[in-house]
Parts: sequence; structure tokens; C-alpha cells
Amino acid sequence: MDTQFLVSLSIILATFALYIGIAIYNKAKETSEFYVAGRGVPPVFNGMAIGADWMSAASFIGMAGTIMLLGYDGLAYIMGWTGGYLLLTFLLAPQLRKYGRYTVPEFIGDRFDSHTARVIAALCTIIISFTYSIGQLSGSGVVIGRLFEIDAKLGTMIGVVLIAFYAAFGGMKGITWTQVAQYVILIIAYIIPVVFMSLQITGNPAPWLSYGELVGKMGELDRELGISEYFAPFTNGTKWQFLALMFTLMAGTAGLPHVIVRFYTVSTMKAARWSGAWALLFIGLLYLSAPAYAAFSRFILMTQVAGSKITELPAWTKTWVDTGKLQVADGNGDGVLQWNELIISNDIVVMATPEIANLGLFVIGLVAAGAMAAALSTAGGLMIAISSAFAHDIFYRVLKPNSTEKTRLSVARWSIVIATLLAGLIALNPPGAITQIVAWAFALATGTFFPALVLGVWWKRSNSQGVIAGLLVGLGVTLAYIFTAKYGGFTILGIIDTGAGVFGAAAAFAANIIVSLMTAAPSQKIQEEVMDLRYPEQMVYKDGEVWMNDDGSKSV
Amino acid sequence: MKKIDKKVADSYFREKTRNMIIYFAIGFLASFGVVFFAEPLSDISINGFPFHYFMGAQGAVLTFIILLFVNAKMGDAIDRKYGIDENKNEQISSGKVLDH
Repeated sequence: MDTQFLVSLSIILATFALYIGIAIYNKAKETSEFYVAGRGVPPVFNGMAIGADWMSAASFIGMAGTIMLLGYDGLAYIMGWTGGYLLLTFLLAPQLRKYGRYTVPEFIGDRFDSHTARVIAALCTIIISFTYSIGQLSGSGVVIGRLFEIDAKLGTMIGVVLIAFYAAFGGMKGITWTQVAQYVILIIAYIIPVVFMSLQITGNPAPWLSYGELVGKMGELDRELGISEYFAPFTNGTKWQFLALMFTLMAGTAGLPHVIVRFYTVSTMKAARWSGAWALLFIGLLYLSAPAYAAFSRFILMTQVAGSKITELPAWTKTWVDTGKLQVADGNGDGVLQWNELIISNDIVVMATPEIANLGLFVIGLVAAGAMAAALSTAGGLMIAISSAFAHDIFYRVLKPNSTEKTRLSVARWSIVIATLLAGLIALNPPGAITQIVAWAFALATGTFFPALVLGVWWKRSNSQGVIAGLLVGLGVTLAYIFTAKYGGFTILGIIDTGAGVFGAAAAFAANIIVSLMTAAPSQKIQEEVMDLRYPEQMVYKDGEVWMNDDGSKSV
Repeated sequence: MKKIDKKVADSYFREKTRNMIIYFAIGFLASFGVVFFAEPLSDISINGFPFHYFMGAQGAVLTFIILLFVNAKMGDAIDRKYGIDENKNEQISSGKVLDH
């Protein structure tokens, strides 16, 4: 038990006490509170909650490391994960809010008037959120593993228990307000080390302005070492892979059920629009800092760690080697650790850098608490998405429409526990780095929900047969491409597994449109409901005419 | 409820759609456009960064944030122009939700 352990642990416990306190205070009592927090969350706070929900272990723990190792090519994650908010806020969020349902499968089931489509959409939600949560659990494993100096696997198991308990308890209402607190913790925890590193290395407290020079300087160091420059484009993949990955991450953002559901928690279309803007501002704070984090870490590793004697490596190396995520091997036996003999996993860069840069006990503990906040808040949102897809869309809307509210809530809570345990089992042996696993979830969302929702909102002619074909074809093509690219080595234009969404989306759009046109148009009522989404709440589309609801009457 | 001219309703939708297309075009250029021409643009330097790196790490994100706020503001302005009252939206919206 060293001092660092005690400091980190007490910061984490203090933040946990805060989250649990908020969750208990806001415990969900009704179904609408469990799923959509009673729909009364103001846009600024909803923006923060979206931010916490959105910024997962992948953003917090994995992204800076990915950028550090991939250089410019890693920036596809920065642009993709922020640009998606344009698609979401312009094309889908306000319209889906006006339609007024609890979940994404419910929109698809009611818009296309088909239980088959509803069940397929629910299954897609479960598959996507489940894949995503594997990344979160393996992220919390890294944090807990480092904290207790145990194997990351054991850390994952502890994370599973925490997350299952925590999400099952509060529901959406508890989670929304907890996430506001988690956003504040995680953004402070992320920015403080970057500011300190910036001061240490450049003497400028604003990392966003100061790391540009470093990027150039590292290019020179790379040239001397004879490796490709840090900022050189397309060194780790083709330009097409970069573009495909960026598109996949953008469209996936707009199609992720646990993010879309966030826009159901606000009051109106206008509030949805503002929520999107606030959310991206809050998210942008971290995304603008991640490349700075990456640049400072790389610079410190290159100039202060590489080149030192293998017997005189600082103490932090040992604890990280123990987690199995860092390798320092003196390959050429000259007693000196070279840059290329240092193998660091994407997933530990953010966690290890405060130690590497000697930022002190408190900052290291704070980063651990921030990482836990990121993993927990996203896992919470994902688990709500999974449980609502199962308990609400499959169990209640299809299987047992007469079940009581109490039964439905308990089915919802149990499905969270079971889903977390299953995801935890897979996370014990994660099939990829955190950012990569998460990118698969985005590829799946791009191939399934993005086309289905865009056509569902913007094209009244799209019908149930079309959407069913689109969802199945999109899911099939995306999964097939991920597996053949990852395990079969098959690629088109150098696009690898993480960019698979491009093909899934193209196939799904084509299938949806072709099948819709070959079959009968949807009913007049459905077509009118789709036309109605063009206008704000007060304007109502009916029988080919638009009506203005001036008295604000609730009868529509 | 009173009927409004279909033309008025259509022009509401058209204005919003036109703005949306403009925002998308700008966002697309800032991200996909710059990536596509990354190599030639890398010779330009901005604040110490090669230009393509700057756009990927900061420029595109800032553009997106600005576009979203412009969209929110402009959306409000268009709503006002067509006499949409947010309080009424709220009332209607809370009543229209499918409750189950």
C-alpha cells in the first residue's frame, strides 16, 4: 500500500460517493423516468450529460494513445466523433424528438408499423450497445488493474460488478444527473495534466496553442531516427481508410441508440437543437485536448525515457509492465532503451503519462477517477439502451403488452445485470484495443440505424419491407466486412475493419430504397406523420394541409 | 387550430433545409475536403502545425461547434419569423408523447 494507491483510491471513492448520492436522490420511480428522465432536462445540462455519455473509456483512455501511435491517421477519430454531431443534430435529433417515443426501436417499429422491424431494431440496439460496452469494461479494467497493481483481467471483473449495480439502480433519471457530475470530473481530470505538461515543456499554460511547435519538432526527431514523421498523413493506412473510418464514426454517432435516446430527454425540437450544440462544445473541450495530450506524451517518451539505461528506468515502468500493457525490452542488448524498443499499448498512454511526467500524486489519482467516470457514465447509458431494447421493445411492446409497470422495471434491471456480466466475460480477453472495439460498434450503427433513421425521417415512401431489408443487409454486410477484413485479410482500397460502416451503409441505403419502391407505399397516416416531422411542434400536417396550433391544445 | 397557407409552411421547411445544406457543405470541406488534399496542404504552416494536421486536430472541430451554434440560433430566428412560440411547443410536446 503506497501513498499513491491511497490517494487514487480516496479520490475515486469520493467521486463515487458523489455519483451514488445523486443517483439515490434522483432514483427513478416511473417507467418514463427510468427511460427518458421525465423529459424535462434543460439543454445545457443535457449537453453535459450527452458529453459524459458520449465520452467513453475510448475517448478518455484510448484516444490520445491511438493518436500518439498513429500520428495524423489517428485524427480520423477526432473529426469523426465530433462531426457526427452535425448529422445527428441536423438530420435526426429534433425530428425524432417530435415523433416522441421512448427508444430507437420504438420509433422504427411505429414509423414503419411493423413488429418485425421493431424486433430487428431492438436486436441491432443490443448488438451495438453490447459491442460498445465491451470496450468500456476493458477500459475500466485498465484503470482498476493499475490502481490495485493487479492484472487488467481482474480489474475488469471488479468493473463489471460496479457497473451492473450502478446502472440497474438509477435508470435514466439517476443517470442523467450523475452524468452531469461525471462530465465535470472527467473534463477537469483530462485537462489538468495536459496543462501541466504544457507548462513543463513549453512554459505556456494553454496546451491548445503551444503544442503546434512540438508537432513540428517531433517530425525532425523522427527524421533523425529514420521513421516516418509524426504528422505525415496516411502512414498507417490508405487515404481511403482514413475517409472511410471518418465517415463510419460520423454516421455511427448519428445512429447510436444510447446517444439518440439522449435527445428524447429534452422538452422540444428547439431544445434538441440546442442540446446538440452544447453537447459538442463540451465534448470539443476534450477532443481538442486529446491531440495535445498525445503530442506531449510522445515528446516526453522520446526525449526523456528513450535513451536512458535499461537498469535505471523510472519506477512507473515496473507497475505498468505488471499490467501487461507496456513492454520494455533491450532488443539489441546495448543496455540502453531505444525508442523502438519501447512498446506501449494505446490504452495506457493517458493513464501512464501523468506518472511519466511526474505530475504528482493528486493528478495521477484525479486521472484515474476521471477515467472511471468516463467508463461508468458511458456504460450506464449503454446498459439503459440494452435494457430498454429488451424490456420495453421486445418484452413489453411485443411479448407481454399487459405486463405491469413493476414487472417491466424489474425485467429492465435484470437485463442490465445479465448484459453486463456477458460483456464482462468477453472483455476478459478483449478482441482489440479499446478504440478499435468501439469503432466496430460505430460501424454496426452506421450500417444499420443510420440509413434506417435517415430514410425513416426524410423519405415518406420508405416502408416496412424496405427498412427490414435495409437493417438486415446493412448488419450482414458490416459484420461480414469486419470479420473478413480482420481475420481474412480481405480489403477494398485498403479499408480495414474499422471503416466497414461505409459498405454497410451503402448496401443498407440501396436495399431500403429498392425494396421500398418494389413494394406498396406506407399508409396515408404514416406518410402524414413523416411529413409532420418537417415542421416545429406547433405546426401540424394533416390531410395535405398545415395547421397552426395556436391555443397550445394537447389534442392532436 | 387554424389552417395556414401551404406555401408558408413549405417555405419554412425550405429555409431550414437550405441552411442545413450550407452547414453540411462547410463541415464537409473542413473535414473530408482537407483530408482529401492533405498532402499538398501540408506545406502550409499554421501556429507551428502543418495545415492538414491543424485542421484535423483543431480546425474541423471548431468549425463543427460553430456550425451547431449557428444552426441553433438561426433555427430560433426562423421559428420567430414564422410566429412559432416555444412555450406552446412545450405544451404540445408534453401532451403528444405516447404515454405507456
